[in-house]
Amino acid sequence: MSTLTHERAERRKAWGFVLPALLWTFAFFVVPFIYMAAVSLWTRQGRETIHSWTLDNYLNFFGKPHLLQALFNSLEVTVIVTVISVILAYPLAWIIAERVPRRFQRLALVLSILPFWTSYVIRSYSWLLVLSDSGPVNQALVWTGVIDTPLALSATRTATVIGFVHFFVMLLTLTIYANLVQLSPNYRRAAADLGAGGLQTFWHIILPLTLPGIMVGAFLTFVLCIGDYITPQILGGNNELLLPQVIMLQLGRTANFPMAAALSLVLMAVVTIAYLLCARWLKIERA
Amino acid sequence: MKALRTILSIAYAGAIYVFIFLPVVVLVLFSFQDGRLPVPPLQGVTLHWYGEIFSDSRLMSALANSVLVAVVSSGISCLLGFLAAYGLARYTLPAARLQRALIIAPMTVSTLIIGLGLLSLFGALGIFRSLWTVGIGHVVINLPLCFAIIYGSMGAHQVNVERAARDLGAGEWQVMLLVTVPMLMPSILAAFFLALTFSWDEFIIAFLLSRFDVTLPVEIWSMLRSGLNPKTNAIGSVVFLVSILLLLVMELLVFRKPRRAS
Amino acid sequence: MISRSLGTSLRRLLLSTAFATWAFSPSPVLAAEELNALVWCDHTDAALIEPFEKANNVKVNLKEYEGTGAGLSIIEQSQPGDWDVLVVDGVDVKRVADMGILGELPADIVPTSDIFPEVVMAENNSKDGKIYAVTEKFGYNTISYNKDKVDPADMEDLSIFWSDKYKGRIALYDYYIPMIGLTGLALDKKTADLTEDDLPAIKEKLFEMKAVARQVSDVVASQTALVGGEVDIILGGGEWVTASLAKERPEFDWTVPKQGAVRWTQSIGVFADSEKKDLAQKFVQYILSPEGQARLATSSCYWGMPANSKAGEHLDEQQKAALRWDEQPEYLKNTQLYPVVDAKMDAAMQDVWTEMLQH
Repeated sequence: MSTLTHERAERRKAWGFVLPALLWTFAFFVVPFIYMAAVSLWTRQGRETIHSWTLDNYLNFFGKPHLLQALFNSLEVTVIVTVISVILAYPLAWIIAERVPRRFQRLALVLSILPFWTSYVIRSYSWLLVLSDSGPVNQALVWTGVIDTPLALSATRTATVIGFVHFFVMLLTLTIYANLVQLSPNYRRAAADLGAGGLQTFWHIILPLTLPGIMVGAFLTFVLCIGDYITPQILGGNNELLLPQVIMLQLGRTANFPMAAALSLVLMAVVTIAYLLCARWLKIERA
Repeated sequence: MKALRTILSIAYAGAIYVFIFLPVVVLVLFSFQDGRLPVPPLQGVTLHWYGEIFSDSRLMSALANSVLVAVVSSGISCLLGFLAAYGLARYTLPAARLQRALIIAPMTVSTLIIGLGLLSLFGALGIFRSLWTVGIGHVVINLPLCFAIIYGSMGAHQVNVERAARDLGAGEWQVMLLVTVPMLMPSILAAFFLALTFSWDEFIIAFLLSRFDVTLPVEIWSMLRSGLNPKTNAIGSVVFLVSILLLLVMELLVFRKPRRAS
Repeated sequence: MISRSLGTSLRRLLLSTAFATWAFSPSPVLAAEELNALVWCDHTDAALIEPFEKANNVKVNLKEYEGTGAGLSIIEQSQPGDWDVLVVDGVDVKRVADMGILGELPADIVPTSDIFPEVVMAENNSKDGKIYAVTEKFGYNTISYNKDKVDPADMEDLSIFWSDKYKGRIALYDYYIPMIGLTGLALDKKTADLTEDDLPAIKEKLFEMKAVARQVSDVVASQTALVGGEVDIILGGGEWVTASLAKERPEFDWTVPKQGAVRWTQSIGVFADSEKKDLAQKFVQYILSPEGQARLATSSCYWGMPANSKAGEHLDEQQKAALRWDEQPEYLKNTQLYPVVDAKMDAAMQDVWTEMLQH
């Protein structure tokens, strides 16, 4: 009897600890999300919002090539960025974890993510200056004689990708490094004992073991990249539109909340699919 | 062979470091530009633009707003995150997995969507957009982060210490505040500072949910919409400096202390 | 022990943060009243606003927006009485007044006789003999260029924008209304007569222009490209893009081509449901006064001609030269107002523009 009341009291106490966070997430994340899903089924005609349920916004999106194109552009850019970032970040994380003496590792790591702490809006703007025709990249290339005339770097998809990769190389270096240092040297020793060469060890032992870390980083990259508005808006020169830009256009120019909501849900769906695709490597809740 | 590998490693790391630091160096360099245009060539060195930003009242109040929103929202995120982690790690609750998943969920959603959702909901409820609404949005994105970090660092050995304290007659709150919190301080601080930097630099939620009082990234965005100016470089450099200082403080507070938990 | 010292450090950190917050905060505002204004970015210049705040002991809260659509969406998200003063595109005054957003202005606060007659725009700013807004500033969406790098003679004809001569060296200004107006002019269509039937032809030309252009960008990205040398021409630019650069880069010039160009105007009015109409009208009066007009014309965000001709008394010769004060009669003759569009046409134009961006 008394243990039962005690248990009940314990449980009530436990709910008391968890409820604030649950309620906050429910009120400011779940409810807005459901509301937005409802709004996406309304339509906007002229300056009026029509409050009757229809799939028009979604049909519109999939029916208008220039809107659908934004989704494909976003997917392409995001996949390119994710792949390049992983490829660039892995060796750096490896070098920091394996080649840099232990007591300098933290410093090397902090240095590799330091520019993360410049303002993110300004970082994109700064790339605009760096990639301009008279900017340091083109100046250096011309000066060394690699090219005669400056490359058209700014206001292109290349610029957007560079801006993104810059950010995500830092992020991925961090996650992959964290994964590499957790590996026990025993694995490598065992592999060497069994006669595996350096490359073999890497391919069959190290890479599979660090795959979860890579996937977590890659998924984070995917989520952050596909939902970002600033980088393509500042660096892309509007030569193509990505999905977040189209969402912001709906808001800014027509106040078309229903359409913006529908596009957001499409974006959400894409992220969910990406999550499911790499779910078996992702254990974010236990990260 | 080994020398070659070392040379290759240094060359590769060097190249990536150059790539990573390039925009920062250019940004800081041209914040000293003696002229109105933050583009090459560097015409001379001046602190004029720093003077400009410190006398720009809109920019300075945006800076203050950013600090305020970041500190308050990170504090709330840490508090809620800690309580939830404590509850979920120390007690068995029904559907604990689902609860964890719910608290973590906002982390897997683009901030644009979170911002839009809050914007439409607040609009429908007639709630004014203000620094408060921005703060609410920032807690939504930072709570999962704080929860994950703190929950991840709650291990079995702390349970033993807590039990010992309880056996010695400490009450629930005493155990939590005097035993658990101090033991988890490194991860609580890490969560706090990480949340602080995210909130400090967050743009889209702040852009969508603010009105007259804006945060620094939003003010910088309007500066960027209104004319080419080395002031933008100067404020960017200041933000960088402040962030580095914050990082140093975190380094000293969190990592330099011997961690008794581990 | 350690935890205690950590606690102390944390407390110290929080204290110092609190101190920093306090120290960085703007000086305490003792103003009795606040005025909420929804404006274009040129109104956020402290040099313009502070004299009014000081003289009347009020605080003016400013929210800037770009494009009438964005402004309307902000108003829609607000409650009645939230806003007091509105700055809006001159051609949209009627539309906004029809929606009941703007209130009537008393005729005696408008210095009509001092305003350049071409920009009084009574047919836009008033309805049924009632005044709803007053023109405060104007300028042109035309061609800005680097005269060291392009042949100025080429800039006299809009058809250069779909020829290959300057391929990859052109920036198109990213605002659909004036740009579609300009494209219409190139096709010999008056901006006032544009209808949905004209859009297919305009769309085709826009696609051709996009193919030749390097980028479609806002003011800063366009300026950066012009200064950095990526582009030599900004279509849709004008004094408001280049005047602020003129001092350092005298090679930047602008012109109105033979087909003419588009004239932008901005109007100021008071919200119908403002609870501080007197103060709001006082603010409007200040903005329209010669002093206010001179400050608005040379605002840090962008320059433009003041609507009040008396503002010239408060501008120096250099400023007047940058604004091309003396050439205005000719420009006014060769330029047309923005197209006036209803919601349906507006949506169609945005669609065309988005398609062009995605092309």
